[in-house]
Amino acid sequence: MKFSLNREALLRPLQQVSGVVERRQTLPVLANVLLQVSTDQLSMTGTDLEVELVGRVPLTGAEAGDITVPARKLMDICREIPDKAEIDFELSGSRLEIRSGRFRSTLSTLPAVDFPSVDRAAVELSSSFDSKAFKKLLDSTSFAMAQQDVRYFLNGMLIEVGEGMVKSVATDGHRLAMSQQTANTTNEGVKQVIVPRKGVLELQRLLNELEGDVDIAIGANHLCASSAEYTLTTKLVDGRFPEYERVIPKNGDKIVYADRQELRQALNRTAILSNEKFRGIRVNFSKGVIQLSANNPEQEEAEETVSVEYDGESLEIGFNVSYLQDVLGILESDKVRLTVHDANSSALVENPDDEDSVYVVMPMKL
Amino acid sequence: MHERLILVVYTVVNRPMNDWRRIVVHADMDAFYASVEQLDDPSLRGKPVLIGPNSYRGVVLTASYEARPYGVGSAMPVAEARRRCPDAIMVSPRIGRYQEISRQIMQIFTDFSPSVEALSLDEAFLEMSGSMHIFGSPERIGRKIKDAVLNATGLNISVGISGTKYVAKVASAHEKPNGLTVVPQSSAEAWLAPMPVSRLWGVGVKTAPRLHAIGLTTIGEVAAADLRFLVHHLGSQGAHFHALAQARDPRKVNRIKGARSLGSDRTLHKDISAREEIEIHLRRSAERIARRLRARDYMARGVRIRLKTNRFVLLSRQQQLSKPTDTADDFHVVARQLLDHLIGQGPFRLVGMAVFDLSWRHDPLQLDLFADGTIRKLETTMDKLAARFGRDVVIRARDLGRSGTVSGPGVNLDFLDEREGERVTRPER
Repeated sequence: MKFSLNREALLRPLQQVSGVVERRQTLPVLANVLLQVSTDQLSMTGTDLEVELVGRVPLTGAEAGDITVPARKLMDICREIPDKAEIDFELSGSRLEIRSGRFRSTLSTLPAVDFPSVDRAAVELSSSFDSKAFKKLLDSTSFAMAQQDVRYFLNGMLIEVGEGMVKSVATDGHRLAMSQQTANTTNEGVKQVIVPRKGVLELQRLLNELEGDVDIAIGANHLCASSAEYTLTTKLVDGRFPEYERVIPKNGDKIVYADRQELRQALNRTAILSNEKFRGIRVNFSKGVIQLSANNPEQEEAEETVSVEYDGESLEIGFNVSYLQDVLGILESDKVRLTVHDANSSALVENPDDEDSVYVVMPMKL
Repeated sequence: MHERLILVVYTVVNRPMNDWRRIVVHADMDAFYASVEQLDDPSLRGKPVLIGPNSYRGVVLTASYEARPYGVGSAMPVAEARRRCPDAIMVSPRIGRYQEISRQIMQIFTDFSPSVEALSLDEAFLEMSGSMHIFGSPERIGRKIKDAVLNATGLNISVGISGTKYVAKVASAHEKPNGLTVVPQSSAEAWLAPMPVSRLWGVGVKTAPRLHAIGLTTIGEVAAADLRFLVHHLGSQGAHFHALAQARDPRKVNRIKGARSLGSDRTLHKDISAREEIEIHLRRSAERIARRLRARDYMARGVRIRLKTNRFVLLSRQQQLSKPTDTADDFHVVARQLLDHLIGQGPFRLVGMAVFDLSWRHDPLQLDLFADGTIRKLETTMDKLAARFGRDVVIRARDLGRSGTVSGPGVNLDFLDEREGERVTRPER
């Protein structure tokens, strides 16, 4: 195995691929990146058994071969080599030699046959999406995913593909984010899959790099996103996602319009003196204003009044302020619409001009 | 002008008492469980009493002062304790009674200070800084606390007072039982100096030999040692010991309401290794624990399981939940997941489970989108049935016919409290 390429061609894909490799692994080979060389292409693979990412780089005049080398060391070396330098790789015995200018190094290797691959069952659905739009779909909801929740099916994102539409839903049981967009999907009926948290985060990282379209293929236990340079495969969470439609409130009768930035900044200020553990904040709705107030165990207090459009009866609801901050940070509109019912019912937060994204926040009993 | 006047008064009052810019009290009942039993049963007074399960496989929870000259202490296996002190009277623990008295004691503490940090049923820190104008000198504060506890409960408590939590705690143990030791901050370092390093907070059977190995046997030697030398040999812990040895301990008294953890360990009468058998114990523990939590209006956010192998290796795994809960169902789900990590290392002689990171049910509570409260309703209904008709009136269908393996004569050791990494069944000083 022998190949040469420019540092710039190698570094970006190598960084992407190494990002999947966990710092602590259960198998030594999982710390490695798989290099597969044909005469005209290098393909690099990193995996943690749940998410696998392949990056491809064109080569000229290479000698074919497959091997695995420590991902982090390979990446660190390539990063420290000067810009635009040529790097030569050659497998000699069980070592991979790396040369560039007057630099020479040898890396330990493990055989390519030991490198595990993520299982893929037959593809049941595949479709092409604009990568920027698909990224927005994920970005709009990923913040609401649970983290290490006992309800393991919440530690990920629901992707729902219907005819002409695609939807993402994430929830940690306390708040929920749902976003949908039109797509040129042609499947009949609705296909739902849960992508694990890490798969979502890696997919978001990858979509940052992509221009043009991304092909999404879904099988019984995996989802695969590919472009010319990359293929990301993630296992799916085997579980039933809760019926999210059921918890999107329909009974909200008190509607508030507020300036998003103004409300967000007021929340940011008030949040500082909320209880660090519970993050509770009181929101008092009355005609024309919302009053925010918080206090902490040291009895420090903060309050602020924000002018809003509201004409309903007075009402106080407690919230985890972080959940409101998250939503107001994700929305991009000037105005925000809050729809509430009472102190025990979920609140709806939306961009009034965009029906496609919906945010639900459950109150807190203070 | 007005402000200046106040400032002057403040300095005049405090100057002669600069030693007491901070006053921390550590109060600790003497041989608590044993003293309660001797209080309630006069026939036990003046006699060696061991509180513990009446089984040779359990451990002693508390030994009365009469039993201690025989070398008997807490956490000692019952068999060993009875060998050393054959005349000792074994008394089964009555945790409910101890909790009742504990509540009285904690109530008294809160009469003295708004900041009370309970460490266990019978032990607490009190932040008393700035209270000399109310209660008088530290000696008088200590005397008043001791009198109040004695009057209310008939029991003795040992009190230590200093300018830091650490020194206060060492001081309370200094003249046990029924001690009162006051160590002003200015003489704290000198007072600690001759004590063995094992009296440093955090130095146990593992660290003490490491300190000895680098030539440090007294706290004074640790205080005088070069900080870099300590950090080199002990890492960040070295800096921690150095600060303690110099009587520096900035930790605040944290108002922790009630207990830190609640659980139950069961030493089995027969070693087990099958997953199903362990799970039954865990489920029973989860139900007991959840019931006790609900009875006290507590919620918990962490679950820990402990398994002791037949070779006495104690294995433990814990997990934090996304939010507090008080249902057995939640605890059991997590306990089963934790069991995955430990199964296969058996056979086991002890199965234990605890919940930690406790909070009040009345603390701010994040409502859930999906939990509709059915499971909690089921469990509180079972609580009511158990309260009315007895604990075994309802049983899970899955457990029918298997309960024999559960409610055998195995020793059940419920506990309400533990300090970080330490059981309430700790050896008493």
